[in-house]
Amino acid sequence: MHPATHPESALPARPHRTLKIGRVLRGLAATAVALPLIFGAAACGDSGDSAGTDPNEKVELSVFWWGDDSRAETTKKVLDAYTAAHPNVTFVTTFQGNQGYLDKLSTQAAGGNAPDLFQLDDNMLSELAERKVTLDLTPYVEDKSLDLSKFPESLAKYGVVDGKQAGVALAENTPGLIYNRSKLQEFGVAEPTTGMTWEAFITWAKQVSDKSGGKLPGTMDPSADYKALWVWLRQQGKEFYNGKELGFTAEDLTRWFELWKGARDSGATPTADVIHEGNSSDATKQLVVTGKAATSWVWSNQLAALSKNTKDQLGLVAYPGNPNGQWARASMYWSGSSRTEHPDVVADVINFFVNDATAAKTLGIERGITPNLDLRKEVEATLTDANQKASLAFETQITPQFGAAPAPPPKGHAAIRTLLVTIAESVQYGKATPAQAAQDFISQAQSKLA
Amino acid sequence: MALTTASAPVVPEQPGRGSPVARKRRGAGGGRGREGVAGYVFLSPWLLGLMGITAIPMLLSLYLSFTDYSVFSTWEDVEWIGLENYRTMFTNDPQFYRAVTVTLGYALVMVPLKLAAALAVALLLNRAWRGVGLFRGLFYLPSLLGGSVALALVWSALFAGDGAVNEFLAFFGITGQAWVNDPDYALGTLIILGIWQFGAPMVIFLAGLKQVPVELYEAASVDGASPWRQFWHVTMPMLSPVIFFNLVLETIRGFQSFTSAFVISNGNGGPVDSTLLYTLYLYKRGFAEFDMGYASALAWVFLLTIGILTIVLFSTGRFWVHYADGDDR
Repeated sequence: MHPATHPESALPARPHRTLKIGRVLRGLAATAVALPLIFGAAACGDSGDSAGTDPNEKVELSVFWWGDDSRAETTKKVLDAYTAAHPNVTFVTTFQGNQGYLDKLSTQAAGGNAPDLFQLDDNMLSELAERKVTLDLTPYVEDKSLDLSKFPESLAKYGVVDGKQAGVALAENTPGLIYNRSKLQEFGVAEPTTGMTWEAFITWAKQVSDKSGGKLPGTMDPSADYKALWVWLRQQGKEFYNGKELGFTAEDLTRWFELWKGARDSGATPTADVIHEGNSSDATKQLVVTGKAATSWVWSNQLAALSKNTKDQLGLVAYPGNPNGQWARASMYWSGSSRTEHPDVVADVINFFVNDATAAKTLGIERGITPNLDLRKEVEATLTDANQKASLAFETQITPQFGAAPAPPPKGHAAIRTLLVTIAESVQYGKATPAQAAQDFISQAQSKLA
Repeated sequence: MALTTASAPVVPEQPGRGSPVARKRRGAGGGRGREGVAGYVFLSPWLLGLMGITAIPMLLSLYLSFTDYSVFSTWEDVEWIGLENYRTMFTNDPQFYRAVTVTLGYALVMVPLKLAAALAVALLLNRAWRGVGLFRGLFYLPSLLGGSVALALVWSALFAGDGAVNEFLAFFGITGQAWVNDPDYALGTLIILGIWQFGAPMVIFLAGLKQVPVELYEAASVDGASPWRQFWHVTMPMLSPVIFFNLVLETIRGFQSFTSAFVISNGNGGPVDSTLLYTLYLYKRGFAEFDMGYASALAWVFLLTIGILTIVLFSTGRFWVHYADGDDR
């Protein structure tokens, strides 16, 4: 069943022996599972089946991503620019909020109607690549029609699953601590710095809590946050994943939970119910902008987006510990569908997004920092927003210290992430000891990764 | 429920008012033959729909429950794994048991309280006040909105740690809980939301109350029965078929609850799995963890459980449900 054992069926232009009946059956099956939940049936549309090599052939690609209106606007502008250069290619676009994006994509994929081009993050890349949902872009990367040579090497590699280019980074980002600079000045507490130890950071956060008279806890508790755990593990020479298994033990996780239990007990973080709000809500409700903590554990490129939700001035530093625990990470990928009728066009559109100067300037750094190093400078010159400039300056400053990129997370990562939230919360609410919780996590994680 | 057409009706027919019993009896002698064919022709869109989007997909999901099907699997590499999904579910899935416990707790507490609330309000509104229609409408409103995402959002805002409910309590000097953000209270908050949506059973109770013959109350009060005795010895027995109907319907509905828990917990069943209703767990496995084979197995266990439960309810019915039809069963 492993995709690697069927190399012939993963060729980019699959022969059209695709069973139509299989497509229908899958659509029905997805509907069947959805029905008990009283969800509407998945509409099973169908695309045409002509495939030719005529360069002027009319091509219509469906494109799907998650994001807000401003992302939609810039993305559509780039697609329009592509159509202007290639009048035979037009796009049908759909976008929606983050919540429910994967549900919709999975339903479409199950029905055999995956969009030709879609956005992914590393949460899902391996899952879809191993299930042969994504188009193998390796041949295009090799013949440079999809040119990744201007990417930082580790960023280009971070789209490779089982030796195949499953996605191309649309942007790069890095974990970042975003803190409330205005409030720190008000309380007279020094700003945190990149490179401070974890213990020093927790002490600092405790100081913020104390100086605010307990009104503003110093930091969100990130013990349920996979990216904070991952950075912490790498700083001790471990990895979150070792191939398709966990790269750490129950002892490591116990220490992680204990570190944050100590922080909570000292008052450096909010109480469990407030932490839960931070764990379960989206970027706009991070505790740093709702005023329930002085620091949120997010991504560095979110500085501008979070700033829109508060009047206070925000600042940005790296996660505690040595920044070499971090790596050039793809914040998002473009991936093609393995069932697309026009793999060449899909690869060319992706190439346009990441290597065309105008496209890069249009996109700005809303999705993360421009992946193409040559274009990064040009994009920088066009930025006007102070927060965006600060994000980019941070990224530029920290990039030389990055460690090597790990492989993208394996299949099952989405389930592991939610499992970590549930298990970490059981410690936060005092329902389990760090050691018990760590044991539970390890035993349940194994079945999700298998 | 079987009605013997042979037994002569004790009460004379009342053609205009058409009790459910009377209507049923009239329909029973419906034509076969050509009329039957016409019937099937008129039914055909529905029958096609039943086959296409219910029957065939259900059989497929039964098949898929014996495979390792992920939403993204290509049809060719769906692997038959026999009873493995079911075995994992019962022997190696703490979250499955968690979901079962949460759902049982939710339904067992919510359904009786909801029916009690519906009946109490129906009794209040079964009088001829001025403006009683307005109140009936207002009480029905929440259940109209019941399944909606907006309502669950409002609910989670009301019951947030700094929400309106706690501000209200603070007014009386009570320090509120974190309600939906506290694993000890989150399910309780969902139960209250469920109870609050008692409008649909209330309307059915109201209709049932209208069917109780006024003569029975008159006779009872002539015999000197207190209102309380009248309620227990006239209203309740006469209403028992309606109570039974509501009980079955609301039990099934209670077990299938999904939207409010989904919205309030952001689709995660949190905090600490305290609101992990069975359907939410099924959804999580299928659509968030892409384990459709397993989710199908969960769905079939769920279907069988609800089926058995309904049979049990029906079998208890003979002990307490009275049909005003003479042959008291």
